[in-house]
Amino acid sequence: MIDVFAVRFEFVAAIVVLGIGLYLTIGDRGLVKKIIGLNLFQTAVFLFFISASLRDGGAAPLLTESGGPYVNPLPHVIVLTAIVVGVSLTAVALALLIRIHDAYGALREDVIEGLIDDG
Amino acid sequence: MGELALLLAVPIVAAGLIVAVPSRRWSPRFATLLVLGAQVGMAGWFATRALGSMGVRQVMGGFRVPFGIEVVLDGVSMLVVLLIAIVAFAIVWTIRSGARSSGFYGLCLLLVAGLTGVAIAGDVFNLYVFLEISGLAAYGLVASGRGGKGALSALKYLIVGTVGATLYLLGVAYVYVVTGTLNMADLAVRLPEVAGYGSPAVLAGFVLIVVGLGVKVAIFPMHVWQPDAYADAPDDVTALMAALVSTTAAYALLRVVLDVFTVSFLLANPLLHDVVLLAAAVSVIVGGVFAYRQEDVKRMLAYSSVSQFGLIAMGLLLATETAVFGALLHLVGHAVMKAGLFLAVGVVSLTVGVRTVDGYAGLVKRSPVLAGGFAVLALALVGIPPAVGFVGKWYIALGAIEAGSWWMLAVIMVSTLITLAYVARLLERMFMRDPGPKEDGLDGLVTLNATSVSVLVAAVGAVALGLAGPWIGGLVAPAIEVLVGA
Amino acid sequence: MDRGLGCTGDRGVGGSMIMPDAWLPGLAVLVPALSAGVIFALSKRPNLREAATLGAAGGAFVLVAWIVRLVLAGEKVALDAGVLVPGVRLAFEVDALGALFALLASGLWIVTSVFSIGYMRGLKEHAQTRYFASFAASIAATLGVAFSANLVTLFLFYELLTVATYPLVVHDETDEARAAGRKYLAYTFSGGVAVLTGTVLLFWSTGTTSFVNGGIGSVAGVNLGLARVVFALLAGGFAVKAAVMPLHSWLPNAMVAPTPVSGLLHAVAVVKSGIFGVARTVLDVFGPETMHQIGMHTFVAIGAGATILVASVIALQKDNLKRRLAYSTISQLSYIVLGLSVLRSEALVGALYHIPAHGFMKLTLFLCTGALYVETKKKNISEMAGVGRRMPLTMLAFGIAAAGMAGIPLVAGFASKFYLLLGAGDAGAWWIVGVYVTSGVLNVAYFWPVVSQAFFEEAEADPKPLIDHPMGGQAERDVLASRTPLNDAATTGFHRVPVGREASWLILGPLLVTTLGSLVLGVAVDSAVFMALAEQAVEAVMAP
Repeated sequence: MIDVFAVRFEFVAAIVVLGIGLYLTIGDRGLVKKIIGLNLFQTAVFLFFISASLRDGGAAPLLTESGGPYVNPLPHVIVLTAIVVGVSLTAVALALLIRIHDAYGALREDVIEGLIDDG
Repeated sequence: MGELALLLAVPIVAAGLIVAVPSRRWSPRFATLLVLGAQVGMAGWFATRALGSMGVRQVMGGFRVPFGIEVVLDGVSMLVVLLIAIVAFAIVWTIRSGARSSGFYGLCLLLVAGLTGVAIAGDVFNLYVFLEISGLAAYGLVASGRGGKGALSALKYLIVGTVGATLYLLGVAYVYVVTGTLNMADLAVRLPEVAGYGSPAVLAGFVLIVVGLGVKVAIFPMHVWQPDAYADAPDDVTALMAALVSTTAAYALLRVVLDVFTVSFLLANPLLHDVVLLAAAVSVIVGGVFAYRQEDVKRMLAYSSVSQFGLIAMGLLLATETAVFGALLHLVGHAVMKAGLFLAVGVVSLTVGVRTVDGYAGLVKRSPVLAGGFAVLALALVGIPPAVGFVGKWYIALGAIEAGSWWMLAVIMVSTLITLAYVARLLERMFMRDPGPKEDGLDGLVTLNATSVSVLVAAVGAVALGLAGPWIGGLVAPAIEVLVGA
Repeated sequence: MDRGLGCTGDRGVGGSMIMPDAWLPGLAVLVPALSAGVIFALSKRPNLREAATLGAAGGAFVLVAWIVRLVLAGEKVALDAGVLVPGVRLAFEVDALGALFALLASGLWIVTSVFSIGYMRGLKEHAQTRYFASFAASIAATLGVAFSANLVTLFLFYELLTVATYPLVVHDETDEARAAGRKYLAYTFSGGVAVLTGTVLLFWSTGTTSFVNGGIGSVAGVNLGLARVVFALLAGGFAVKAAVMPLHSWLPNAMVAPTPVSGLLHAVAVVKSGIFGVARTVLDVFGPETMHQIGMHTFVAIGAGATILVASVIALQKDNLKRRLAYSTISQLSYIVLGLSVLRSEALVGALYHIPAHGFMKLTLFLCTGALYVETKKKNISEMAGVGRRMPLTMLAFGIAAAGMAGIPLVAGFASKFYLLLGAGDAGAWWIVGVYVTSGVLNVAYFWPVVSQAFFEEAEADPKPLIDHPMGGQAERDVLASRTPLNDAATTGFHRVPVGREASWLILGPLLVTTLGSLVLGVAVDSAVFMALAEQAVEAVMAP
């Protein structure tokens, strides 16, 4: 297990980014930061996915080129799709943030909860 | 060739058109109903073709399996597709015309498309994409009410839901790294061949996928988004969500666990199997206890869903033929019952202005018909025979015995009593107390409008589904045999 | 998976033969069930509504009587309404035991309906429509229980019965009534869950839940430990409604219901559906032979014997007449359970005969109590001094029924108790004989004060032994004395009224009919149809 991480330092990077993202999402009280954290979290998974397609000495899988080992194209397609999903999510989240800001004038969880409790 | 994709294309294109074309001279509600009607028709037509044991499998874009995007309609997904179309139609039908913008109807159709996609996706990545499409639509719908509270709950739902979906994606990545494929049928073959069921990567993949889907299903303790989202969403949206969103996620769980990892995987990892069963059982009990302690009726019903989905998860994780069918029947039955109950809550809140358990006092004097329908649905939820709640529970209990799991039998039986406790608390107030004050400016009398009719239809449906249980069992038996026997 | 998920399963009851009379039991259940709907529809027209109740009661009784005639002729009346869950059909099959219970419930429903009309109108009760509709629904469910051909169908109607009777228990809508309702639901549904668990286990281990007179054959092959668990769950679950101690405490609380409800449902229909379930479990699921093998009948006997004595002693201490009757019911129901556990022909006949015998007598007692309440608003025995002069016919009926309860000859209770004693003696179970005899004495002890208060006491009476509260009917003495100089209210606290005018005939008629029934069941034992049914039922079980 350890040697995998030694060779594939991208995996280590993915785990670090994942941790940061999850921490921001759960631990921070600011709603904007939560969304940033969510993006980081997703990006880490994309990184993990894409690095799995790596092949030492592999070429881009273009049929016009001469043969030889290619890197796996499928993860690229998948991550591309997942990025689109992530962008749409972020867009919806930002739209919601605007609504929340209009309603409460604040973007911090604790402040808004206080406002709701006060009625 | 590829006509199954119509089930997805029609609502998606229609959603785009409804939002894009200015609606001064036509009613978006009517158009949505037309599209959903067509969806019901298509689902029905495909369902008749899917009744063979293998169902219909189609690959998009001329690729070969397992490289192309495959969609599958078998006896099990056919039930879910039909359910989505019919329930969505019924709920949109209850919305007063002019009450909603065309954007709202667009989101409804997008939700239907996303959920249908989850139901018929043949590979684990497309499952993720459709899960997120339905999720996006659901976040938008939850926020479609007025005020900031809906938006806040929607954002919470978005954050938790996205974390769940991303965990699922991470799990898919693990499985992909090990096997090099994403097609469900292909994965089922290659997981044991290439990696073996004991491989840490496969185990990690399983856990991440189950946790990710568990968030979407709202299994305790991943349910935190659900009561807020249900309570703060507009009532018709709550009905739609409670009936369909968690239901489809639970279906996805069933697909992935039984179709991808298969029963052999569960048998090869008894400890993991026990842990996930235990989690489901805890959800049953804790959800029920929380439901009993709620004052807000919508929240009570929301926690009730946590409990009921625990029961469903238990049935499908037991992975015997009987238990899986029980879970499936309860899945469909629960959708019908909860849709009816939440619609009833909507009517009451609109006409009487009450939302709390105490506020429901004497409801029977305001509307005997609505209260009667509510009571039938609530008792069906408890599992009074011959309603569907009883039949589903019977199968799941029988499955628990077959698996030799006595403590699960006990949990199933105790859950009946817990359900009774919170349901009886509400029914007693509705039927055995004098009505309390209503909100000013409301007439306090429930008239027989589209929504109350839908509640009654749901009540009749809950009983009819129970009586039709064995018949449905006969229809889906081949598909379940394939699922469990593989 | 040999049972599959489809529409397979045992091909119903009595083979695939189509019975010409198959629709009878279905119709007998449907008539009261549909009448509940009609009653709701007629809520604005009370007279028509009550006509619907009486019509349905009459109709159901005629149908049941027809079924009884067929059953006595040795025919099996069966209806198969399709698959309920795979391997189990929604089916009716009426044997002698079911016919006995159905005849009792539907017959007494007519009487109680007439009384209910007098009672509800006499007291100007609220929510009368709900009352009559729930009553009809309860009877429909009771008949369903009686006719069920298998445990799952029985469970279905058993649970519906709980739901249908709940509004009747909570009828008053006071906090006390609601608390009683909650307790009622908690107890009976817990019992229901136990029954369901037992049923699922039985189905899994034998592949069937259909009743077979003398026991399901394959149940003998089940592992002994599992068979014990199944029996404990089924019998224990049914024992909740049968109010066997310590599962009884819902019954005294449920006495907050209107008196006709307490009379028909909580002395006949509901509690006896529990008894009926126990009887089905003992006779038609396990059967006497297997019962001996698994050896649980001794525990049942001990529980029932203890219930008989303890409940009788508690009854002695209750001043509220309905509560005293409730504990008397608890005690008398365990007569039946105890008789079943003896597993001898005579005892079984006695136990089954005690179902109608107790039904008639206890209903009489409750109807008398209701009549007293409508006319004098008295609920406690200590306030009833001299009431026999105000309501002589009522109290005479009460006395006769009470005598029957104690097992005095010429009343129904004697006949059933005679057989019970015979069976217990035959089995050599002398302690059971002792329990029955002791209980007879205790019955006298707790009923005598009521009779003596009514007929032999006057307002200034001395404190009675056996009652621990301040005695005497001083309640309205002064008021009445000053107002009615021409009667003896000064000494008894009650007016004297002409014989036959003591209460509305809607009230008096029914209770005299049930008294007469109690006497007929005690005198003309052999010509009363119930004995024939009981004997036929026992014969089918003991000589399969």
